[in-house]
Amino acid sequence: MTAVSADGLDAAADGPGGGEARTDSGESYRLNVDGFLRSVNAARIEDSLLTVLRDVLGVTAVKDACEQGRCGACSVLLDGRLAASCTVLAADADGSRVVTVAGLGGAGLTRAIRAMFLAEGAVQCGFCTPGFVVAVTDLLTRHPDADEGEIREALSGNICRCTGYGRILAAVRAVQAERGIIPPADAHAPGNAQDRPDGE
Amino acid sequence: MVRAGVLRPAAVPGRVVLVMAGGTTSTMFRPRTVGEAVEMLAAAHDSGAAVALLGGGTDLVPALRSGERCAEAVVALRRVLELRVRGAGADSLTIGAGVTYTDLAGWSLSPGLARAARVVGSVQIRNTGTVGGALGSARPAGDLLTFLTAADAEVLTASPRGPDRMSLPRFLADGLAPDALVTAVQLARPGGPQVYLKIGERQAAYPAVVSCAVLVDRVRHRLTCAIGGVGVLPARMGQAERYARDEVDWSTGTVSPPAARRFGDLVVEEAARVAPALPEGPRGSVEYRWHAAGVLAGRAFARCLHHLTGPPAGDTARGPAAGGQR
Ligand SMILES: Cc1cc2nc3c(=O)[nH]c(=O)nc-3n(C[C@H](O)[C@H](O)[C@H](O)COP(=O)(O)OP(=O)(O)OC[C@H]3O[C@@H](n4cnc5c(N)ncnc54)[C@H](O)[C@@H]3O)c2cc1C
Ligand code: FES
Ligand code: FES
Repeated sequence: MTAVSADGLDAAADGPGGGEARTDSGESYRLNVDGFLRSVNAARIEDSLLTVLRDVLGVTAVKDACEQGRCGACSVLLDGRLAASCTVLAADADGSRVVTVAGLGGAGLTRAIRAMFLAEGAVQCGFCTPGFVVAVTDLLTRHPDADEGEIREALSGNICRCTGYGRILAAVRAVQAERGIIPPADAHAPGNAQDRPDGE
Repeated sequence: MVRAGVLRPAAVPGRVVLVMAGGTTSTMFRPRTVGEAVEMLAAAHDSGAAVALLGGGTDLVPALRSGERCAEAVVALRRVLELRVRGAGADSLTIGAGVTYTDLAGWSLSPGLARAARVVGSVQIRNTGTVGGALGSARPAGDLLTFLTAADAEVLTASPRGPDRMSLPRFLADGLAPDALVTAVQLARPGGPQVYLKIGERQAAYPAVVSCAVLVDRVRHRLTCAIGGVGVLPARMGQAERYARDEVDWSTGTVSPPAARRFGDLVVEEAARVAPALPEGPRGSVEYRWHAAGVLAGRAFARCLHHLTGPPAGDTARGPAAGGQR
């Protein structure tokens, strides 16, 4: 039986029954997705976590766009770290905690982010939104008072073809304002020319 | 239709996952120690399978998906905790192959390296991409590779024949034996300002087109410069380095302002001679890349050595020395 330890490492390795064979059930491995252990059947070794989440497990909240790690639509938290699921080998995620936008749920920080994305017009076609919500949740968890330059940098791995990013930035600022992290007035002045990262 | 199954043989509980696809067997090895990784790599090769080492997967997984690479067995190194260690000796720094760019990005013992790590890709890429993968992929303008080339780094490996070490150029020229893996890289502790700069397309999505590292060692009176993106691998600019050695006032660690331009010009000349040259690609003609190399090198040189005219390089997290791509 696979158990998942708090640090996300595969506790089954050392646990009793770790040597059991599961060939009879047709199961390849198990993934901890949004807190549920899900059996993965009919796997191929080259499958990415994105492919398995969507095509095998039906977790379509995770979006598939570039499959090259470039657009962030497939972003998940892997053992608490933001990752592009198209660059993660699914079989190597056995024993890790995978959290998708669906698992971040409708409460707390993520609820506020989702609400502000809608209120601020940060959602147009919506294809990029699940990835952005995961990335913004990760950012504001690690760095609640991120400034504009830091927000832009932290979200640079997520591409949006519709909004031009200004509304997304406004949504993040609005979440910070709602939580009392920045003064409300600052929430509505996004898009100022940021300092260039090279200081020029 | 693909049938699949898992087997966790009692001999190595939980450490081997067999995935059966389309009647054939693929094996996922998940070692926990370097010793196990070496054994599993050897076992995988003995089975005659096409084997791939997996670090963070940022290069390998998309390549498997697109069919550019194929693997019947994968040895995944993410759980080998020994490989995720960074350490510092009296004179040297050792960085495990499993250390990610995010791990490096805040490392105060090597601000130059930390900056090079901070300007890699996006948060997603930095969280997963590893040092071992950067060496394994050996990209022409790889950020870490360019920095390590300037730093005279050594590559530490493990194989059934035991641990080994070699210079980075030898590692890049000879490649790894199929049954070996990179365990760490080692470089000297910084001996002065270090500046890393790069230029390219959207940084989060594409590796740099041209990269440049300039490292100053005020103790040994030495300046080293590596340029990525002109040759198939990053190359050292020996002629420019010699010019710097003679030109720098080592008592103050400064140079005259025109020296930066001359340094850049020498780098342009030398970049044009790097062999084997990177073939002309869609992203910039060769002349553009030589020119960019000179501009970056001149700028990095000035930042390292013009202490009197600007803030010292290497003391701010996001200051002038942070070489963002643009
Ligand atoms: C969107 C995107 C942006 C990127 N941006 C940048 C960038 O800005 N700068 C940059 O330099 N790179 C960039 N890269 C490239 C990539 O992220 C780096 O090369 C990274 O270091 C690869 O590490 P990994 O752990 O993900 O490697 P993997 O994909 O796991 O492996 C890469 C190769 O190395 C081999 N390998 C892995 N570990 C070892 C080991 N211990 N010993 C021997 N061989 C090993 C693998 O077999 C494989 O051939 C980018 C990639 C993507 C997808
Ligand atoms: S689909 Fe994974 S980053 Fe684009
Ligand atoms: S809303 Fe359409 S891609 Fe972002």
